[in-house]
Amino acid sequence: MLLAVTLYPTGMVLWLSVHRTRLYEVVGGVGLANYATVLTSPAFLELSLNSLLYVSGALALVLPMGLASALALQNLTSSAALVRTLLLLPWTLSMGVVGCFWLWLLNPSYGPISYLMQSLGIEPGLMLGEPSLALILVILVTAWWSFPYVMVMMSASLQSIPAELYEAIDIDGGGLRARLRHAVWPHIAPTLGSTALTLGILYLTLITMILVLTSGGPLGATATWSFEVFSSAFRSVDLSPSSVISVVVLIVNLFLGYLYTRFTGRVSG
Amino acid sequence: MHIHRSEKILSWTVLTVLVLTVLIPLSWAVFTSLKSEASVMAYPPTFLPTDPSLSAYKTVFRNQTFASDLFNSVFYALAAVALAVVLSAPAGYAASRFEFRGKRAVMLLILSTSMIPAVALLVPTYYLLDKLGLLNNPMVIIVLQAARLVPQTVWFMQNFVDAVPRELDEATQVDGASHWQTFTKIILPLVRPGIAASAVIGVITTWNDYITVAAFAPEVGYRTLQVALVNQVFDSIGITWSYVMAFAVVCSIPIVAIFILAQRWFISGLTAGAVKG
Repeated sequence: MLLAVTLYPTGMVLWLSVHRTRLYEVVGGVGLANYATVLTSPAFLELSLNSLLYVSGALALVLPMGLASALALQNLTSSAALVRTLLLLPWTLSMGVVGCFWLWLLNPSYGPISYLMQSLGIEPGLMLGEPSLALILVILVTAWWSFPYVMVMMSASLQSIPAELYEAIDIDGGGLRARLRHAVWPHIAPTLGSTALTLGILYLTLITMILVLTSGGPLGATATWSFEVFSSAFRSVDLSPSSVISVVVLIVNLFLGYLYTRFTGRVSG
Repeated sequence: MHIHRSEKILSWTVLTVLVLTVLIPLSWAVFTSLKSEASVMAYPPTFLPTDPSLSAYKTVFRNQTFASDLFNSVFYALAAVALAVVLSAPAGYAASRFEFRGKRAVMLLILSTSMIPAVALLVPTYYLLDKLGLLNNPMVIIVLQAARLVPQTVWFMQNFVDAVPRELDEATQVDGASHWQTFTKIILPLVRPGIAASAVIGVITTWNDYITVAAFAPEVGYRTLQVALVNQVFDSIGITWSYVMAFAVVCSIPIVAIFILAQRWFISGLTAGAVKG
């Protein structure tokens, strides 16, 4: 039994360490010069900006959407199960499938959304091919796909609020606002935080959605760090720039992961 | 709890808007898969197919690589989950029941591996597999996918074993059972819901993965349905939208079916450990 818990992770660490040694070997030849070139290049700045906008934009949409749906579901006495099932559907689909669906829906020539825009008198342009619009659309699709995750987490958290707390507020004559502020918010805030971190990590490391929708374009308008790692690793001969970005993603991720353990107290046991 | 009428109305409004936001795009995509090539391009576009046909689906099933793509999707998902559960269940039991030196460190290690993003390992893993001649190898894919599932599965198993009263183990051990017997005869049957939840999440995650297979086993014969789907978007010559939609629907049917049948486990798998009660 002990072997199973000790050997396996040890093997896993070895497995990982091999990978990281390899990584350092690739970078090692030129020392830190690689970091200097990559980190100071304007391309890296744009990737960083895109990553930041993408992660924060998607979070800014999914957190209110997920929270609102969880709160609303809680107030439902009938058909809550059916509504929840329907709302969860996008999250079960793969990023490839979601990407294909929306690639079609957002198609500038035949797609329904550009038709709708036209009939409202808005010029749809190239949609995902429009540099100023592409990132916003990718964020919207990502939100559509992932808000159910927030909903599930928040529903679970809301269910753990003791009924006495609501009753106490009822007796004191408090309405919706008082209930949200004194019972709901303090209770769900930690879960909301950890959910935001989980999704932040997901968005930061996500590739497939961007690959299908825009392939990082137009003109790099939707390329994030992780996307760049993927695309340049299989495109260029020199692996070092994408390795440097890999390390950046790793560090940011470990930091977010550290925050996550603070939030959930997951390793306390 | 007292809920005002206005709150009810607000709740229904929010949910109706969201359900429509989810369902309209989904059904538009599904209806597109039932349209003929000509009506897909019709202007103005129609929501319902005017002449519903299954010809796009026929083309999908007639695709030469479809059978092998489907087989790989099923095989990788089942094998990776089986491997992850076989490794994690005993680990979760040990983590829950035994105190040993370095336990905290080991648990921390398992957890931290889950925080190393797959993206960061993409380049080195590719490099290594290439040197070892292990690209396009089904076993490698299964091990990589299982390794991704292990941390959350161990954590999950530990939580479930924690919920089993220790007196039960002690009673069996007084009767002369070994730790292993206690584990297989007493603990395993009781944590079946935990195994089911991990398995449901694991199958969906592995089935839906694109990156791992696309990077390390992209060749026909080793790739999965997800990889085939995304590839089709890229060589769009001669590919119709009704075909791509039909392909995407076919890729999703098994997952949506599992989700609907095992929703309870899906939800408990998602929320496990992430909600502080």
